Amino acid sequence: MIGPSIKIKGEVSGDEDLLIQGQVEGTITLKAHQVVVGESGQVSADIVAKTIRIDGKVNGDITGTENVVISKLGNVRGNIIAPRVLLEDGAIFKGSIDMDPGDTATKAAPQAAREPAAFPSQENKAHRLDLKSG
Amino acid sequence: MQSHGERLDRLAVIPGQPSALLPSLFEHVEEGQRLTVLHIGSATPETVAFFSRYRCKLHFIDLFGDLATLAPSEDATVYLPQTLLDLMQIPAGTRFDLCLFWDLFNFLERDAIAALAQVLAPHLRDTTLAHGFAVHSLKTPQSGKIYSIKDVDQIGTRPRPALLPGYKPCNQGQLERVLDCFSVTRSVLLPESRLELLLRARQQR
Repeated sequence: MIGPSIKIKGEVSGDEDLLIQGQVEGTITLKAHQVVVGESGQVSADIVAKTIRIDGKVNGDITGTENVVISKLGNVRGNIIAPRVLLEDGAIFKGSIDMDPGDTATKAAPQAAREPAAFPSQENKAHRLDLKSG
Repeated sequence: MQSHGERLDRLAVIPGQPSALLPSLFEHVEEGQRLTVLHIGSATPETVAFFSRYRCKLHFIDLFGDLATLAPSEDATVYLPQTLLDLMQIPAGTRFDLCLFWDLFNFLERDAIAALAQVLAPHLRDTTLAHGFAVHSLKTPQSGKIYSIKDVDQIGTRPRPALLPGYKPCNQGQLERVLDCFSVTRSVLLPESRLELLLRARQQR
């Protein structure tokens, strides 16, 4: 964890999940892990991780190989690349979202008929829901 | 943390209105086709959720937040196309398949709409389709809504926190004269004398 009083300038990388409550400027690369930018987190950096959750403020591009969630408290200015992106009500986002990052397994199914993307906390039954049915 | 089902339920209760023209935007989208979409306005959960069923890149450009910058100015150094280029920052080489303008044209002066057409033209395909609102009667009041897409035939509507400045409703004839990169292929008269428009890119010369 990067605590609320910590400021980092440079490259952050590693082999474990990371919670950022402080300030980071540079790059953050945790390709096989989760990055959470907490409510007090302020990041001016590109982020690359497996799953990314933003509850704080990010100015930079975000690449999630699995998914990206911008919570109702999140504020992101940048471009997102991820096969699954969830914007919660109240989230502030300015930029582009590319939900076709390439050869991820989730893209194997025909896209036009594909069900809405699933997120880690979902129950199995939710996976069967279809947006069309509301 | 709320479940995926709960999130979908919450999106389902966002107020909406049926759309007769929205389905036309998607009827020619083939399975697996990659879409590049321009969405004028702020990003909303329901729009992102809707497009998650497609292979797509969504460009959210909230010109509604920059209306003051696009208002008429006596400053001769203000060159609207350049202002729009700076505001929109569309990456070089981007070609939109779909453009969702919503009610933007009702807030832009004719010069600004013409400038928008000039900026967008290089980013359109011959097959690009678009959706927008105009008015039938110029006395039509501002809707005060933020628009989004809930489903292929459902437009999401949220109340704006406050009415936007510079409301100048635009009818179909006025729009077609200045938005010269698109032509209106269908229009539907809505309550309160509003018009829903389906547009198609004109062949690029």
